[in-house]
Amino acid sequence: MFRKVLFILISLTILTQNLMANEQKNLKEHFLKKIAEVIVIVKNKENNKSMRNSKIVATLTPMFDFELMAKLSLGKTWKTLTAIEKKKFVSLYVERMKKSYSSKIDSYSDEKVEISSLIQPKNNRIKLITNLVSQNEKLEVVYKFYKPKKQKTNKDRWLVYDVIILGVSIIKTDKAQFKEFLQTNNISELMKQISAN
Amino acid sequence: MRYLVICILSFSIVFFTGCSNKSVPKKETIEKSAIQDSQEDLFLDEFDDEFTIEEKPDPFNSYNRKITSFNDGVFEYVLMPISKGYDKVMPDEVQNSIANFFENIVFPIRLANNLLQGKVQNSIEETGRFIINTTIGIVGFFDPAKSYFKLEAHKEDFGQTLGYWGVGAGPHIVLPFFGPSNLRDTVSIYPNSLLNPSIYYHHRGYNLTKNSKHSLYVKAFQKVNESSIQWQRYEKIREDAVDLYPYLRDAYEQYRQKQIEE
Repeated sequence: MFRKVLFILISLTILTQNLMANEQKNLKEHFLKKIAEVIVIVKNKENNKSMRNSKIVATLTPMFDFELMAKLSLGKTWKTLTAIEKKKFVSLYVERMKKSYSSKIDSYSDEKVEISSLIQPKNNRIKLITNLVSQNEKLEVVYKFYKPKKQKTNKDRWLVYDVIILGVSIIKTDKAQFKEFLQTNNISELMKQISAN
Repeated sequence: MRYLVICILSFSIVFFTGCSNKSVPKKETIEKSAIQDSQEDLFLDEFDDEFTIEEKPDPFNSYNRKITSFNDGVFEYVLMPISKGYDKVMPDEVQNSIANFFENIVFPIRLANNLLQGKVQNSIEETGRFIINTTIGIVGFFDPAKSYFKLEAHKEDFGQTLGYWGVGAGPHIVLPFFGPSNLRDTVSIYPNSLLNPSIYYHHRGYNLTKNSKHSLYVKAFQKVNESSIQWQRYEKIREDAVDLYPYLRDAYEQYRQKQIEE
């Protein structure tokens, strides 16, 4: 009896570990595939700038949960917003993210993206540690993924909710600056400022 | 615990909507959105501890804000035009080589601080890098240590050493021309500069510069060269700022924290 239970327990652990390893492998491959797609778009000289950027954004959007990022960046303030404000804030934030990403792509020149390691602290969280390697330096970029309980429509199974560049978290810095801005201004002024940028 | 709350909430919603199903149909939708909200709150709470911002006193806030906009002005109207012009006339290879040279001569700072943190392996590698790059790399203009010998740099400074031994960052201080810093890193400027051969100290045995004025010119040149490589980076960072001072402050502190942890 004891042996049977032990056997079942061990095989269950091995099974779940296999599943996890498989999931991790899939995520890595998916990520590299996306990056490769982006590089193809960047290198295609036929695209003009705005066409190229919108193509890149379209490629990457399924991998990011911009909505969640918008909510997290407001911290406790999020809960105090009215439904209309919430909707407006999310759409402004998403626009800003896309614009910011496109502008970063503009300065791209032959850097390579390498995966250095992957950490799965929880069943539904994965940290993908990558390096942006250029001729004379290596920048560490960490992508934090989570797995929503139910897959969202038009979205990947695992979604990025924060990007950490050289130890600097996008969400954290946004949260800090929004918080300080909101100490002397209200939410509509913040939204005005975001859309003005 | 969270599941329990969800269970209770959903049970009560089911129960109440069940009771009032026919009499007040509108209530159902109201409560549905209420439960969606509370579920969303619970979901967001799961991420809370990853993004807690340390409530740190910021006694120099108003001074720092002024210096931040001063620095921003210096960058935009002085440093950037010069760096852009310099970038246009200088080939990238030359810019990188000059940056390599300045990186190589501050080897004493890296060695001392790797040793002060007990990082023996890194100290050996840094020494190896210095010897290779000073000789084969022609006084440090090239970095064969990395490209051929696969020896990565281990940048350490005195601020990181203090942080490593548990000294806190202290209040954030924005320095004119130098940019974001904190008390710990500001104090560390002096010990770092003592080990920097390009900064002139009369009583020190080794000086690569003839006098303080000379040393200042060299420093300015180094700064221009550095920003000629990186000016786009600061511009891109600045674009994302809604409020520049807290944005740069937080980015700097997170970046330093990461360097200390490595």
